[in-house]
Amino acid sequence: MNTAAPDDTLLSAWIDGELPPERRAEVEAWLREHPDDAARVRAWSADARSLRSALDPVLDEAVPTALTQTVWRKAPAVLPDVAWRRWAAALALFVLGGAVGAGLTWRMQGSPAAGAALASSGGWVQRAAVAHSVYVPEVRHPVEVKAQEEHLSRWLTRRLDVPVKLFDLREQGFELVGGRLLPDASGPSAQLMYQAITPPGAASAAAKPERVTVYLRKPDDATPASFRYEQQGELGLFYWVEGKSANSGPTGYALVGALPRDKLLALAEAIYRQDPSRP
Amino acid sequence: MDAPTSFRQQLLGVIPRLRRYARSLVFDPHAADDLVQTALERALAHWHQFDQRRDILVWTISIAHNAYMDDRRRHARASLVEPSDGFDPDASQPAASTDIGLQLDLVKALGRLSLEQREALLLVTLEQLSYAECAEVLRIPIGTVMSRVSRARIALRALLDGKDAMPPPGTLRRVV
Repeated sequence: MNTAAPDDTLLSAWIDGELPPERRAEVEAWLREHPDDAARVRAWSADARSLRSALDPVLDEAVPTALTQTVWRKAPAVLPDVAWRRWAAALALFVLGGAVGAGLTWRMQGSPAAGAALASSGGWVQRAAVAHSVYVPEVRHPVEVKAQEEHLSRWLTRRLDVPVKLFDLREQGFELVGGRLLPDASGPSAQLMYQAITPPGAASAAAKPERVTVYLRKPDDATPASFRYEQQGELGLFYWVEGKSANSGPTGYALVGALPRDKLLALAEAIYRQDPSRP
Repeated sequence: MDAPTSFRQQLLGVIPRLRRYARSLVFDPHAADDLVQTALERALAHWHQFDQRRDILVWTISIAHNAYMDDRRRHARASLVEPSDGFDPDASQPAASTDIGLQLDLVKALGRLSLEQREALLLVTLEQLSYAECAEVLRIPIGTVMSRVSRARIALRALLDGKDAMPPPGTLRRVV
């Protein structure tokens, strides 16, 4: 191989696995033929290992309570008046969410604190969680309109006054079951239900197919908001608000599912990419 | 709005890693925990800026890095003494099972690298961040990360080999 000597920067990047495959092969070929360089690279790797073994014990130390307490402390009030009003607003939302979901929230095993956190993020996210828990266990009537009916998207779009796209999540292993119209605090909202695709031949006797729901509504506030994540009991929720674009108004989304966070995130990102208001 | 419970739980999860990172920067356990405390407070105050698609560890390490730099700037105005000058090797207690002599040399040598090199090396080898993540934390180009890591490796090895490539810390008055 007629490669020039790799410089130290390249050798160092090789240790860190930061080289593209062809450069990596070149460096490896070089190191096989140049034992001095190979020895240097080994020494650097050994130093990195020693660094880790010198500092890793910190990971096993008990976390000082002062730090844990910092994490749980409420935000210091900048102005007591503002803080109080914020708290009152969050409480009002919580009470509202609680009233809507009363009798239904028993399905969700979140602590009261988790409930308050959900409510403070906006009552609609709480309603999305409740709607999920109500309809997901339905065996015979999980949806109002089945996915196959082509008017589903048009119907929901017309009623919600925001574009409702039937997101394609097959790449992520989920297929659309259908959708339904739901009452929200200030108007209609929609729920799209998706179900894990069972591979042919797999035991379809599984009584509880894995399902996620997408809750859509016209948001109270047109301000776009980035992805937020909440966990309530076994339910994970990703929610965000897409801003106004040339051809559509702002839309609030909540993705709900009893899935690991990373799996749910992959679905949320697929929905985000397919958003009709995005160019 | 106050930070939600789920965010606080995520923060709790990264505390051990933040403590290790802080310890590798300032060595003294109490000063390191003070740095972690500042980072946690800032993270809570800005929780709404955290995009859940990002890695919370990288985000909080960025905050800790910025807090450390702020702290240094404050100290730099008061005196030109590097925080690591006051480093007491006995303060960090290495695991008994490994070669303590080597570890003390190593930590000492680490303290004698320039801050720029030390941070890049620690983020990549200790925290095992990718060059891209490291660049994000330090707000420098990836190419700069690459050269700083490589120069740090060479300097550290030279120090451990007894080839003192660096001026002793007493004369190292560099303030970034």
